[in-house]
Amino acid sequence: MYLRAAPLIQRGCAPSLYLSTLSPMRLSRPLAPTIGWRRVWREYRALARDPLYLIALVAAALFVLAAILYPLIATLGQAASSEGARVLGDVLRRPVYHRIILNTLVMGLLVAGVGTGVGFLLAFVQVRVAAPAWLKRFIHLTALVPVVSPPFAVAVATIVLFGRSGLITYGVFGARTDIYGLPGLTIVMTLSFFTVAYLSLSGLLRGLDPAMDEAATNLGASRWHQFRTVTLPMLLPGLGSSFLLLFVEAVADLGNPLVLGGNFTVLATRLYLAIVGEYDLTSGSVLSVVLLIPSVLLYFLQWRLATRASVVTITGKPTGRVLLITDKRAVIPLVGAATAIALFIVLIYGTLLVGAFVMSLGVNNTFTLKNFEFVLLGYGAEAMIDTSFMSAIATPLAGVLGMVIAFLVVRGRFLGRSALDLGTMLGIAVPGTIFGIGYLLAFNNPTTLGGVTLIPKLTGGAAVLGGALAIVMVYVIRSTPAGLRAGVAALQQIDPAIEEASVSLGADQALTFRKVTLPLIRPAFFSGLIYAFARSMTTVSAILFLTTPETRIMTQQILNETEAGRFGNAFAYVVVLIAIVLVVIGLLSLLIGLSTGAEREAVQTP
Amino acid sequence: MKSLKILIAPFVVPALLMLAACAPAPAPTAAPVAQPTAAPAAAEPTAAPKPEKLTVLCTPQEDWCQAMTKAFEEQTGIKTSYVRLSSGESLAKLRATKDNPEFSVWWGGPADGFVAAAAEDLLEPYVSPNAADIPAAQKDPNGIWTGVYVGALGFCSNKDVLAQLGVEKPNSWDDLLDPKLKGQVAIAHPASSGTAYTAVWTQVTRLGGIDQAFEYLKQLHQNVLQYTKSGSAPGQMAGRGEVAVAVIFSHDCVKFADEGMTALEVSFPEEGTGYEIGGVALIKNAPEPEAAKMWIDWVLTAQAQEIGPTVKSYQLPTNPNAKVSERSVKLSEVKLVDYNFDEAGKNRKAITQRFEDEITVAPQ
Repeated sequence: MYLRAAPLIQRGCAPSLYLSTLSPMRLSRPLAPTIGWRRVWREYRALARDPLYLIALVAAALFVLAAILYPLIATLGQAASSEGARVLGDVLRRPVYHRIILNTLVMGLLVAGVGTGVGFLLAFVQVRVAAPAWLKRFIHLTALVPVVSPPFAVAVATIVLFGRSGLITYGVFGARTDIYGLPGLTIVMTLSFFTVAYLSLSGLLRGLDPAMDEAATNLGASRWHQFRTVTLPMLLPGLGSSFLLLFVEAVADLGNPLVLGGNFTVLATRLYLAIVGEYDLTSGSVLSVVLLIPSVLLYFLQWRLATRASVVTITGKPTGRVLLITDKRAVIPLVGAATAIALFIVLIYGTLLVGAFVMSLGVNNTFTLKNFEFVLLGYGAEAMIDTSFMSAIATPLAGVLGMVIAFLVVRGRFLGRSALDLGTMLGIAVPGTIFGIGYLLAFNNPTTLGGVTLIPKLTGGAAVLGGALAIVMVYVIRSTPAGLRAGVAALQQIDPAIEEASVSLGADQALTFRKVTLPLIRPAFFSGLIYAFARSMTTVSAILFLTTPETRIMTQQILNETEAGRFGNAFAYVVVLIAIVLVVIGLLSLLIGLSTGAEREAVQTP
Repeated sequence: MKSLKILIAPFVVPALLMLAACAPAPAPTAAPVAQPTAAPAAAEPTAAPKPEKLTVLCTPQEDWCQAMTKAFEEQTGIKTSYVRLSSGESLAKLRATKDNPEFSVWWGGPADGFVAAAAEDLLEPYVSPNAADIPAAQKDPNGIWTGVYVGALGFCSNKDVLAQLGVEKPNSWDDLLDPKLKGQVAIAHPASSGTAYTAVWTQVTRLGGIDQAFEYLKQLHQNVLQYTKSGSAPGQMAGRGEVAVAVIFSHDCVKFADEGMTALEVSFPEEGTGYEIGGVALIKNAPEPEAAKMWIDWVLTAQAQEIGPTVKSYQLPTNPNAKVSERSVKLSEVKLVDYNFDEAGKNRKAITQRFEDEITVAPQ
């Protein structure tokens, strides 16, 4: 392969591109040209006959390499340095770290367990239990709220409501409860993250073939027996995948432990303090790796499980109607519990809303607009504009990239497309803080090779565009995976014969993609866009180390206000942020006019 | 071997194809090799062009930062923005951006932080003409930092919570060790907060050594609910009744009480308390040195030092001509320890690391 490339370089053909694409792969030994490689070469040559394919492939490969793999490799490299080895030795040896790791695991497992439970309960009530339609819709909509709010907003409201002087715990019951630490974290993280479990499990439940249940009932099984021996086993992979996904989210979360952790230290907070308190990138990298390995392994394990789970759902089209559970003994506790959870969410977000309009909720309940004045007129306005603007740039990029990679992965016939898929998914499988560190390590100085600047300095205030580029890149890598999955799912439903027909009628690939494929995957594309915008606006951990004086990010300002104890300002920020996200979702839906992914999601509720 | 191929093929082969096609491929990511915008006005010594903008690293309360930058902008026409970071964070940030600083001037936060920064060669000495007004004890003789305000550490208690716990208002550092206060004390983390570091160094001074100080901190840890990132945050926790006592600068406690947290009251330890001299300093390789010097000159004036009280920041001014708010602490009525900013600054790194390793993770 090198042999082939060498004469090309001598001919002066864009060596920078060649080197940039290859360099991080140096880890692998030089490969001798073998038969296998010749085949790969032929496959790609065939592919490249279509320039559109080639451009798509190059763009996708560059994206994965530069924006995702390079920062991760830089982090691993720093952790593998001799200084890193010393810190790693510390981490492995000292009981202090064992405790932190244990804390992280216990918290992850608890949140994953409770969150999956809550998600399942809501999904089950939604799909399988007889309840008034308006109630189900209410439960469904409240379950979606956490998606559009920054993840630690719940923690702040929880302190006000259930803290030691909480409006409810102390105000109503006179109890000085202690929510700092593990118990509080479990509650707020469950509420912040359960939506993922809820959405995927309700999808699975809907896809289950009711014929199985009917068969079980006909054979004389009771509803409970049938649930236990028929429904549940079929859902196990789905439950498992939700569990793992929530585990990964929980151990990666930074905002909640910072606000509500008390002295319950977890890896994410320790890592954060190493960077903001000491700017100790080496310790940061080592802790990153400790956090990274289980997260990534578990993430891909859950992916496998989820894929298995979806196989189950595709096997049979529903042949009958689902028999909703009507037995009062089951309905009342199930619907009651689900309603209670929904009301709890309403209470939390209601508190945020009220808190934004008073001086200091619970201490001084005088009505004021001061908080909004601070957010909308002062420096908050800058943050609002910066964040929305960068999110607005990242959104279409992530949307298009997601679709392009999905197209390559599903329709492409070349060796290694799953690597492209995997590489893109790393963007979400890797905890956000680690990308923060990775970007600092990789892009704080210009990346040069042989005196040629490949990538200019991207992070820090003195960087290109005041560091905004790095933040947009992080937004894109965090949001592309969702678009990719939506795109893959959509494309797999479309028979390639439709596209082939278009080509044989004389259209080229570009036209076919635009006129045939794109309209078919449009809902997936727009749900990807909506997700990307919401995700970008609410991202915290990945951008905390990347903000500069030129780029103010709302979530970071909220965290600052929260940390400094100015809850009123924090609440006002959260309210404004949620409003922006909702307005943009509304506008997107309007623009598209017809059915967007999000609407479909909402309409699906029975 | 095969799996390796699968992994790297999509990244390597397309590049080769591009080469094979020998298209004059404009590599998308490498494209805009933006020349680092060669700092235009800053680097030119000729004819002192009027500076246009200034970025301040600001450590005190957010609203004070806002009021100061706004006033400076109105008076000079220089577009002034700030980022608020706690002392330790500021230090870390300056260290991180050493070669290419984002800020030109650092205003506020205990002088120990400035000493620590100077020890790492992050600051540029500047003796402002206005520094002549500032008492000698409140500035560095070489102009590394100049004092802009003074504040004393105190206990900020919530009297309702104290009454409920049946505990008297604390008047001694040892009062904080009362087992009845378990989980009822809040203080910031000295790695990120200058306030908390002042508290730690106060123990060193008071007890006569670092080891003795850590002995005390270990006992105090039994009662601490949370080590917050920002120094004044514990005062808010006390104000909301989440804890009974916060160890913060007394002026922050007065501020919160004035802002509606009426249950708060200040007290001082009779053994003596630590104090801060808030500093201002020019950052090394500052992108806007001229504007930064103007800022330093300005914040030392009596007029600039009277802005604090308008946003309920009652630190004492260092300029003797500035009016002192009656809400400010009267230093003559508080016993102060003999605080050595130089020693404190030089030991900062070692102490914060030891704190992280020995205290925060100790069982409670």
